[in-house]
Amino acid sequence: MISRLTDKLAFGRLRLSTKLMVTYTLLTIIPMSLLGYFSYWQYTKSIEEQIGEYMPRFLVQADANIKKHMDELSTLPEMLFNSEAMVAILRRDVYQSRADLNRDQFEMNSFLNRTYLNGASPDVIGVFLLSKNRVFESTRLSYSGIDWGQAFTDYGQDLELRSSVKLLLPGDIGLRFVDNVPYVLIMKQIEDVDNRKNLGMMFIAVRLNFIRNVMHNLENSNQADMWLMTRKGQIIFHTNPQRIGAFDPNIDRYPLLDGSFREKSETGTRLVSVRKSDELDWVLVHSVPLEALTARTDFVKQVTILVFIGLVLLSIFMYALFSIRVTRPLNKLNQLMKHVEMGKFNVDLKVQSKDEIGTLAGSFNSMVTTIRELIEQNYHIEIRQKEAELYALQSQINPHFMYNTLETISMAVEEDEKETVVEMVTLLGRMLRFSVNNKSKFVTIDQEVQHVHDYLTIQKFRFEDRLSFDIAESLPSSSEEALYTPNFILQPIVENAIKYGLEARKGVDVRITVSEEFGAKSGRQDLVFRIRDNGPGIAAGRLEQLERAIREDAWAGKDSGFGLSNVNARIVLLHGHDYGIQLHSIEGIGTEIAVRIPITRAVDVERIEKEAKYRATHSNLNRR
Amino acid sequence: MRFGVMMLLFFSMLFVSACGLAVQHDNYEIIYAMGNDDPEAPAGQPAEDGTDKFTIGVVPKLVEIPYFNLVEEGAREAAEHLGAELIYKGPPIADTAQQINIIQELIEEGVDAIAVSANEPDKLLPTLLKARSQGIKVITWDSDTYREGRDFFVNMVDDEKLGRHLLDTLAWNTGEKGEFAILTGQSKAATLNEWIKWMKVQQEEYYPAMKLVEIAATDDDPQKAYEAAKRMLAQYPNLAGMIGNSSVGPPAAAQAVKDAGRTGQVKVVGLSLPNLMAPYLADGSAQVATLWSPKKLGYLTVVLAVQMLEGNPPQDGMTVANVGIIRVNGDVVVMGDPVDFTEENVNQYDF
Repeated sequence: MISRLTDKLAFGRLRLSTKLMVTYTLLTIIPMSLLGYFSYWQYTKSIEEQIGEYMPRFLVQADANIKKHMDELSTLPEMLFNSEAMVAILRRDVYQSRADLNRDQFEMNSFLNRTYLNGASPDVIGVFLLSKNRVFESTRLSYSGIDWGQAFTDYGQDLELRSSVKLLLPGDIGLRFVDNVPYVLIMKQIEDVDNRKNLGMMFIAVRLNFIRNVMHNLENSNQADMWLMTRKGQIIFHTNPQRIGAFDPNIDRYPLLDGSFREKSETGTRLVSVRKSDELDWVLVHSVPLEALTARTDFVKQVTILVFIGLVLLSIFMYALFSIRVTRPLNKLNQLMKHVEMGKFNVDLKVQSKDEIGTLAGSFNSMVTTIRELIEQNYHIEIRQKEAELYALQSQINPHFMYNTLETISMAVEEDEKETVVEMVTLLGRMLRFSVNNKSKFVTIDQEVQHVHDYLTIQKFRFEDRLSFDIAESLPSSSEEALYTPNFILQPIVENAIKYGLEARKGVDVRITVSEEFGAKSGRQDLVFRIRDNGPGIAAGRLEQLERAIREDAWAGKDSGFGLSNVNARIVLLHGHDYGIQLHSIEGIGTEIAVRIPITRAVDVERIEKEAKYRATHSNLNRR
Repeated sequence: MRFGVMMLLFFSMLFVSACGLAVQHDNYEIIYAMGNDDPEAPAGQPAEDGTDKFTIGVVPKLVEIPYFNLVEEGAREAAEHLGAELIYKGPPIADTAQQINIIQELIEEGVDAIAVSANEPDKLLPTLLKARSQGIKVITWDSDTYREGRDFFVNMVDDEKLGRHLLDTLAWNTGEKGEFAILTGQSKAATLNEWIKWMKVQQEEYYPAMKLVEIAATDDDPQKAYEAAKRMLAQYPNLAGMIGNSSVGPPAAAQAVKDAGRTGQVKVVGLSLPNLMAPYLADGSAQVATLWSPKKLGYLTVVLAVQMLEGNPPQDGMTVANVGIIRVNGDVVVMGDPVDFTEENVNQYDF
């Protein structure tokens, strides 16, 4: 199953450009984005952790400051004991007249006003003293919402507070100052330390400005919230004044009350630091949205993301460009190859670049050119070979020879030389049959020698005494097998000898030998035909020219040397450069032409023909 | 395929690791916990439990006189507040030998601290040293012993201030002249003698027209005191005033003055309880009573004893709940200033 899926997803089947893009994505985009994501995540986490660690410490400080203020405020009731007279008033239980009570009340109220409102702390906004069913009070602001009669029941002198200070919140007691000024009531029992008796309960209403100041010193960011609440969650003070007196519904869900934690809600994640005060039984909370902490990092993040996207787009563009540059020549190459396959060789893959693609294109062009040239060459070789063979066939019994022979026969008929006529006709017939039957490139040596003998005999009839010839075969008679030779190699040489000999002299003598000789070039026994004449010979310069003509251009035009070069070319074609024609000539004395061929048996013939074909192509390639 | 699976795993791992931390505690993830680096929390906790075990032995000079009964009230109040066990035990008369026996018993009972109002410092010293050698905290209150015999002394008032003040109150009433006598408690009580010393200093310094004729010891026995006062009234016809140096003195003197029909002629001042003095102040047989709150003294003594056992020795300027600010001078704690009771304010006090 896995392998089938592998096939489906096979990377190998994808287009090259797709592969490049996938590779790029895997190697660059994914690692880069992961790296970026991780470093951002790690960084914000460390910011959170740092602030999470430091904020509780700051809160401890703030808590200590608030505590200090509260302690100072808690000592305010002690000021009452500075005045013996006031203590005496408080100690008084019974009054003989209302006037006495009113006098005491007046004195006490003005004392409270003097001591607490005009002196002491500016945050004190009211002082209330409940003692033995008397209410003494002095306030800076008008208030409402409290029933002191009820307050006696709730907070009267029977309450055993000992020396500790209790904080009352506006919600606890219902007291409201004008404008809803946030305050707390410091409640303290007034003890008569001498008599060890409870004299009453004092309430000092304190404005919470000092908490605001403490919080402001700690945090002046608008985004952060700070509040002070009881352990039950009632908010004593909040940087948002509207929440003072409300309840924090989450306090029971806070995982700890001394430290920092992350809080997730619908409005976002906040970093919350809390500090619980053991003595005062309250909790100081600092809460700030995470975005506010990581704002700068987020900005960097956004810039980075933008730059990253930009770079990705740019590099994708570059990659696309690059892959197009790679794949387009390949596609074109593919097309051109199809053209070549169809046989159209006139193609050119144009690539300017010098890289591997350019090299490939160059190689392709060169290959196509080579193929094209090879084809042309083989084609030409074939044609020339055919031409050479055709020429040989044509030359075997050319019309001029026929005409001369027939004229000789005609003269013999006129002279009534019956025997001569019969012989000549027989010879001519045999020559014709040799030509007609001969479809192979090879004939036996006997046949070849017979043919040239026939030719010479016919010419002898024509030229009578001007021509003499001799053919000597000195082959080892032991050879039972017939030996073969390329056909029609002797007649063109003999023709030349007769032609040039009779042009220059009165008579010519042609001697042909067939023998086996050791060949220096081939390194073995060769078969050699020698055709020697006593003609005019060839001048040394002309001989050199002729030899070069024979060697260099086997397919040269049909000039005087054509017969020789045609023979030489066919031998070289069949047997290689070790074989061919050699010219020896002394001007005025004669010429000897040696035709060297290997000893060829019937079994060799076919092989040689094949080799010959290969060699022709090959030699042409080498020559290039 | 394998490639795809790997990528899937990889990304899911990423997702899990990124969210994993955040998911726990549903909506809350703790970043930092302060731990217990708050020194008050661990220290406060065991101490509160430990106070149950503290047993404080408070030994007055004697029992069944109003002054020491009030001290016991205060001590009991403090023991109740602090959750300590209180053993309040004293001799029926101001007798050092019996006091030694009581202290001995307390040592055997294995109390944590002993607070003593010393009768005779030199006799008491060996026993107190023995207690200290057994690891018992020893403090003195009301009446001091030698320094090596205790950890600290809880003094009600500053000795010099009280001694000078007592003489002042008499001087106001006698017009700064005339003969006067002192009714003291035990003749060897260190604190009483200290006060007497300062009374003499004050007289020599400011009131050359006054003359101290006799210092009579009463042994804190009201009957003995009355008789001594009566005797001196007869013995010194020009006597202008009497100073009671211990709480039984002034009432006995006032009664004697009243009985002798010399009310207004012989002024009576001194250390005593307002309740004892109220009738005499009202009828003019006594002029000023000076004292501190004995309840407060008992209360403070027990509080300081417990705090000492908790490892918090008293410190100068310390605020003691339900008592106020105390002063500490070396190894002497001063509770506060003396209060004068006169005809006008004596009714404010209920001891």
